[in-house]
Amino acid sequence: MPHCPQEPGQNLAGQARPMDDLTREFLIESQEGLDRMERCLTDLEERPQDIELLAEIFRSVHTIKGTTGFLGFRRLEKLAHSGENLLGLLRDGKLSANQSIINGLLQLLDGLRGILHNIEVYQHEGEGFDEALIGRLDELQYPDVSGVEASFPHQFECSVENGPATSEQTAAIMIGPPFIAISGQQDAAINPAAPGATGAKASTASDSTLRVDVTLLNRLMNLVGELVLTRNQILQTTSLDSNLTVLSRRLDMVTADLREAVMKARMQPVSYVFSKFPRIIRDLTQTLNRRVRLVVEGQETELDKSLLEAIKDPLTHAVRNSLDHGIEPADVRIACGKEPEGTLKLRAYQESSHVIIEISDDGAGIAVDKVRNRAIERGLITSERAAHLADRELMQLIFLPGFSTAESVTNVSGRGVGMDIVRTNVEKIGGKVEIESRPGRGTTLRLRIPLTLAIIPALIVHSLNQSFAIPQGALSELVHIPKERIVSVIEWMEGSPLYRLRGHLLPLIFLDQMLDPTRGSVPSTSAAADPFSDVLNETAPTVQGQRDDFIAVLDVDGRRFGLVVDGLADPEEIVVKPLSAVLKSIGYYSGATVLGSGDLALILDPGALAAHASIAMTEYDRPHQAIEPDHATAPTSAQYLLVETAERRAAVPLDDVLRIERVPVSRIEYADSRPVLNFAGRLLPVQDSTGELSRAGRTAETPVTVVVCCDGNRNVGIAVTNVLDVATGGELFEAGSERRASGVTLLNERVTNVVALDSVPSLPSEFQSELIFGSDWIEVSAAKV
Amino acid sequence: MNASLPVRQEIAVPASIVRGDSASGSMLEVCSVRVGPTVFGIPIEHIVEIIGGVRPRPVPLAPDFVGGLIHYRGDILTTVSLRRLLYVDGIQCTDGRQDIVVLEGPGGCFGLQVDSVGQVLTVSSADHEPNPSILDGHRRALFAGAYKLTDGLLIMLDSARLDPDLLSPALIRSERVDSGPAIGLLKS
Repeated sequence: MPHCPQEPGQNLAGQARPMDDLTREFLIESQEGLDRMERCLTDLEERPQDIELLAEIFRSVHTIKGTTGFLGFRRLEKLAHSGENLLGLLRDGKLSANQSIINGLLQLLDGLRGILHNIEVYQHEGEGFDEALIGRLDELQYPDVSGVEASFPHQFECSVENGPATSEQTAAIMIGPPFIAISGQQDAAINPAAPGATGAKASTASDSTLRVDVTLLNRLMNLVGELVLTRNQILQTTSLDSNLTVLSRRLDMVTADLREAVMKARMQPVSYVFSKFPRIIRDLTQTLNRRVRLVVEGQETELDKSLLEAIKDPLTHAVRNSLDHGIEPADVRIACGKEPEGTLKLRAYQESSHVIIEISDDGAGIAVDKVRNRAIERGLITSERAAHLADRELMQLIFLPGFSTAESVTNVSGRGVGMDIVRTNVEKIGGKVEIESRPGRGTTLRLRIPLTLAIIPALIVHSLNQSFAIPQGALSELVHIPKERIVSVIEWMEGSPLYRLRGHLLPLIFLDQMLDPTRGSVPSTSAAADPFSDVLNETAPTVQGQRDDFIAVLDVDGRRFGLVVDGLADPEEIVVKPLSAVLKSIGYYSGATVLGSGDLALILDPGALAAHASIAMTEYDRPHQAIEPDHATAPTSAQYLLVETAERRAAVPLDDVLRIERVPVSRIEYADSRPVLNFAGRLLPVQDSTGELSRAGRTAETPVTVVVCCDGNRNVGIAVTNVLDVATGGELFEAGSERRASGVTLLNERVTNVVALDSVPSLPSEFQSELIFGSDWIEVSAAKV
Repeated sequence: MNASLPVRQEIAVPASIVRGDSASGSMLEVCSVRVGPTVFGIPIEHIVEIIGGVRPRPVPLAPDFVGGLIHYRGDILTTVSLRRLLYVDGIQCTDGRQDIVVLEGPGGCFGLQVDSVGQVLTVSSADHEPNPSILDGHRRALFAGAYKLTDGLLIMLDSARLDPDLLSPALIRSERVDSGPAIGLLKS
């Protein structure tokens, strides 16, 4: 399509946008070089004589200088040139790296980054005054103590303020006091061996990799999603023809492999984010006057690229917090009998479909009293309420917006925008934050991140005759209400619907009314005119009372509420597709997806629904935020799921219950005369001690309820007639001996047998159940019948 | 800046015809679509694909002009119902299925829901007229003049202005100005 030069304004804008390939390539390469340089510089502090490291840094700067001259970026060239001079001396051994040289080089790095950023955003180098920096770099070439000291006044600001004792410490963190040149020729012989080996490895790795644009990967992901969908439809239509079934099975397999491969291509090791921390910690320890050793584990753990970007800020926040509030100054540590040097540990590992990132320190821990007082002081909680909270619950208060225990506002922390940002950002990408702290021993913050963002497990619900998807991460349980009981179980407080869930009142949102406000506001009788009339309390439920309802109990951003929907479909792994801006601005939808059936479903944003219905944060009862239970103080009374089988009542420990399934009896098959349930190729042994499956009067389609439990690392099913309730069990003691009775518990004032899960026989080993339901499945379905 | 936008748009389309004049003899290929009694034209160079007989999935609480969502080559597109955008009343096609013209907008692809897609016509720039001044503000923003054909007027749609992301603020503005729908003016 020919462009005519009729509109100069448009043309200019069009010209500014595309950057020529050479510059783009240069930017990417330089950024990578600088990232490498940053890593090397922090390593250099530990091994100042490492020739390989110096050579690597020199190469990065040299490459930038060489290319800039060619591209005509004069400012960049000048700055890189002066850095190169200094680095040349270091590399040739004419100068030894010391603290001030490393500081200078880090400033050079920041300077170069700044200019590159300008080029990337504004297509030119921008105005800046590099003379001071260039001057410093030049001076550093001549290790004259007084001259350098004068040119670095701000570098030692904090240590000067803090007196001589601390300046000694500051020096001790790093390689040594400035200007004590370590005559390291004797070390040099040992050092190059190891880094040389890693250097060779790195170069072979770069030979076998290819740089791919992320948008291309996104496109691939889209196409794979499309292929998955087409496959699902083919599988549905070809089940009749045996030849086609074989072919479509293969298609199925290839598609699954392809999907996995493309997802893998989007993964990056967490070292991509972790590598920034040595520098951050180095700068912070200087500002805060701490001595900290950084330990990094599991750098090779991989995570989707977009998620890595998303956790960068929360991680930085968390690390700052650990340094500022966690690890004490060295003198305090010595007084407590600890090593003067604190340890900050970053650890990443994979746990089923999540990556866990732990930030732990061996600092002071969180003083619960301090948290309580500060929360009351800031008006986040009333003192009466605080008195009733357990330590574990008080700890959760640090995630409330506006919370900070810092005595004064510093530029590191104390502004009260710390942990709530961490939690909000992590929850935004479907993750969770857990905190664990022992006073005097340290704090561990655990971020639980889903492996990929593009595909999430979701529960599909129906409302308004349409399908909607709810991310499983927000779902805590499901409650089924048969239509004849809706009127009685939903209680109304002046027009606000509530449901009594195990003693707590749960605010309800009717999804259909929320999405179609005309439904709720036009009840069938004229009484609706006065919203406070008693009649409304009677009529409003009947509007709903035409069919069975389900309450999805959602727990998001500290808000807990029940979403009333018309129906449930199976959970599905959905591919999240973005929505256009106009639909995003409605606020209730976070995306859309194509279901296996080919239908489209909108993905609901539970947080936005709660916020719209003004559901407040609840400080109590956050089962997902729980810290690991302290086994010494674990409560002796446990929660049980009360079930009924063949007119007898039995209890299943609630912690072991994964899900409750209702399936037609015909779905139960027999392997060696043992009942099993086939879940997408995985077999679940089913216990049927009371003959529930073979009871008289059953037809093939009669549904049977199967409680899916985990027993150690296997899953078993228990066939029951009904699920009655969830209740707290009381202990029973044998008369006379006063021994605690095992296998029975007191539930609702009745002695009830506890189902022994380990008595369910295992399948023969070739049938061994591999079912692993991650925490992202519906965790407990307390179906009230 | 914003105030001058509609004016610029009106000039821009005739200019593109003039451009065609020098290159390929003042002819432009236009796809005709029908909504109610009216025939509209869309330059074919803006059309990515035409999908027939789809029923978009409605989006609760969406602005009125949003027809719904459709699945298109791995993406989910928002559709704009031309019928509702222009406040055309009356019964739509039999079961809610409509033809959808997939257009490429500045923010990505979107669908335009029409009653039916007609044919590709070749029109001459000599027959083009800008929007008449009596046209209401809402339509003036969406239309790019008309071609005088032998059997009536072919009203040109400004496909860039139909992007759902751009429509919502535009609609809020023009609805205040509008005295009401003036469909009579459009009938050919």
